[in-house]
Amino acid sequence: MNLPLISSMNPIMSTYPTPSNPSSGVQTFTTPNKTWQISTRKLPILKAGPIEALNTRIGIPIPEMIFGDNYVRLTHVPSGWTLDFNAADALDRVSKTEEGMLQVAVAEEWKETRKGQQEGIEGVVKKFDWSYSTDYRGTTTTAAAAEGKPGEEGWKDTTAELSPIRTDLLSRPDPILFFDSVDLYEDELADNGIALLAVKVRVMPERLLILSRFFLRLDGVVVRLRDTRVYVEHATNRVVRQYTAKEEGYEVLQEKLRRTGVAGVAEALRDANVVGPLLRIVEEGTDVFEVG
Amino acid sequence: MSDLDKSIAQLRACRPIPETQVRELCYKARELLIEEGNVVCVDAPVTICGDIHGQFHDLMELFRVGGDVPETCYLFMGDFVDRGFYSLESFLLLLCLKVRYPDRITLIRGNHESRQITTVYGFYDECLRKYGSANVWRYCCEVFDYLALGALIIGATTELTPTDAPIIDTNTQAPNPVDHSDLEIEILNSSGHIINRFARPPESSSNSQDLSQLSNAPSSPSQGQTPTRNGNPGTGATSSSGGSSGNSTGAVLCVHGGLSPLVDSIDKIRLLDRKQEVPHEGAMCDLLWSDPDEIEGWGLSPRGAGFLFGADIVKCFNQKNDLSLICRAHQLVMEGFKEMFDNTIVTVWSAPNYCYRCGNVAAILELGEDGSNAGYAPRTNGDVGRVAAMAGGGPLAEQRQEQRMGPGRRYRVFEAAPQDSRGMPAKKPVADYFL
Repeated sequence: MNLPLISSMNPIMSTYPTPSNPSSGVQTFTTPNKTWQISTRKLPILKAGPIEALNTRIGIPIPEMIFGDNYVRLTHVPSGWTLDFNAADALDRVSKTEEGMLQVAVAEEWKETRKGQQEGIEGVVKKFDWSYSTDYRGTTTTAAAAEGKPGEEGWKDTTAELSPIRTDLLSRPDPILFFDSVDLYEDELADNGIALLAVKVRVMPERLLILSRFFLRLDGVVVRLRDTRVYVEHATNRVVRQYTAKEEGYEVLQEKLRRTGVAGVAEALRDANVVGPLLRIVEEGTDVFEVG
Repeated sequence: MSDLDKSIAQLRACRPIPETQVRELCYKARELLIEEGNVVCVDAPVTICGDIHGQFHDLMELFRVGGDVPETCYLFMGDFVDRGFYSLESFLLLLCLKVRYPDRITLIRGNHESRQITTVYGFYDECLRKYGSANVWRYCCEVFDYLALGALIIGATTELTPTDAPIIDTNTQAPNPVDHSDLEIEILNSSGHIINRFARPPESSSNSQDLSQLSNAPSSPSQGQTPTRNGNPGTGATSSSGGSSGNSTGAVLCVHGGLSPLVDSIDKIRLLDRKQEVPHEGAMCDLLWSDPDEIEGWGLSPRGAGFLFGADIVKCFNQKNDLSLICRAHQLVMEGFKEMFDNTIVTVWSAPNYCYRCGNVAAILELGEDGSNAGYAPRTNGDVGRVAAMAGGGPLAEQRQEQRMGPGRRYRVFEAAPQDSRGMPAKKPVADYFL
């Protein structure tokens, strides 16, 4: 398996119906106090036509598994304010130049043996961050302002100390009233690892938590985690958002795993929850939105 | 009932066979595969399948839709293992069928049929889990090294006999009305009902325009370099022993990934030493890894390894090797198959609902046999000849003739096997107290 095919419109493909009904695959849950609402949408990966449209819009090749119709949406019911997590906006924040472009483990070996054989081969086509690393923190839409145009205005920087995500309260075994896990995109990096952006949400009687996680494992090169957590106490009009980017060199991480005495290092490297605590934090920040 | 038939029955029930039987099976398979060339010759009719990736129940669905072995002749283009939960059962069943009916099933190598890839993407772990040791994985990997790198399908007809089946009631559009005499593509669903049909485009289509553009491209072969071939396509023979395929389509090359800049003829594939682990570079690597893309000429993947190739490369290769079509797998396509570059290359994908969550359909491609020696071309009342005559035998006409007419193609599209028959984890995610 490899990169998705993006090509000219093939007439054969137009015979398949597209998921045009906006309510198909949608699940919605409103908090008991009617203040907050979570909607999720889960549909199959995009078909050739929509992939091409997205490719044109974003300007980079689209990941092979693109759940372009999927989303997780947090709505403040009284004001109509929303925070969305969707694949298109996340991909729009992937580097579209060679800045930050990684190379697979065998790249050097590969190039070495190709020397002298590449006459007439122009070079790298479409330079972009093919690891699909994104610093996406969701798409905010304020219904009142700017005709509902998305933007980051209104988010106020703060610190984890001033506006903590209350892991103590989230760790209580309160009943989970609503739960979902929604994939936005995934790429197997031509069998050089995995890049996965997925969003989880759980709603308890008094609070909710969203975790948007980008996980990258580039075999032999690097492991990366970029988490956006969104925390709401239902009784408030305040949204706390925490972003944490972590990474570690592949071999360093392997060594750390060996030292922790994990049984299967290879298996552990595939589990973001296991490697997460062993990665270096490279960026973190907290901001809040006071809605209404 | 022979031991082999017993193994087949057991594997069909998705139950692994004992380690000793695997060892014996792999030994027999290697004996058989070592006799095959790097490029296996396969006579039409044949059904071409793409990636399976251990989705055993979907493989069973594939056989239900396409017909069983040995009644249907199959060609699988690799990636039998990894990702899915039943790589072992899927690969061993295919291997048993290969040993039992060697002439009715062809297996070629995908990039996942490799030690390195299977240790990362599931097959190794699965063998360890199911047998408690890596022996079975080792036996299988030894077989991988003997799998052919490609296949050449000879004698496929340009003509497609229309299926006598109802047309499904799509709420989008009615299938294109097609005069049955010039049917090129038919798409059926898993019940055999017609989803759509496409007629062969008229002679003066964009094909010839594309080819005229091609002749200006620096990478295209100089004119007159390719003589008119009468020999068996793809063999490089120029003798007149065309046989019954003389009036049929050109040959169809099947590889897992695609072309290589180191390979400009099929004979060059034949010369490779394939009995090894898939290398990280070189022609063998490219055949299993490269991808077609909307570029001109060759391109390097931004990842730093791997080639991409454009329409001009495919058209030149097909022309030089007397091919009408390249079939490959390797890339997930939502619709199960995807034709590119004026129908000169097609991706076939046979793992529905890939990784149990993509929601894609799968497809298999049936090519018919040119039994009547009366393909589409002779039935056009000399249209082909007329075009050539009108152009006064100019370069354009020569090229038009050299562009082999594609085989009639019947795609059967199918969905994943029903959830309840496979004991898969439920679709609904299990709530967890993630932080």
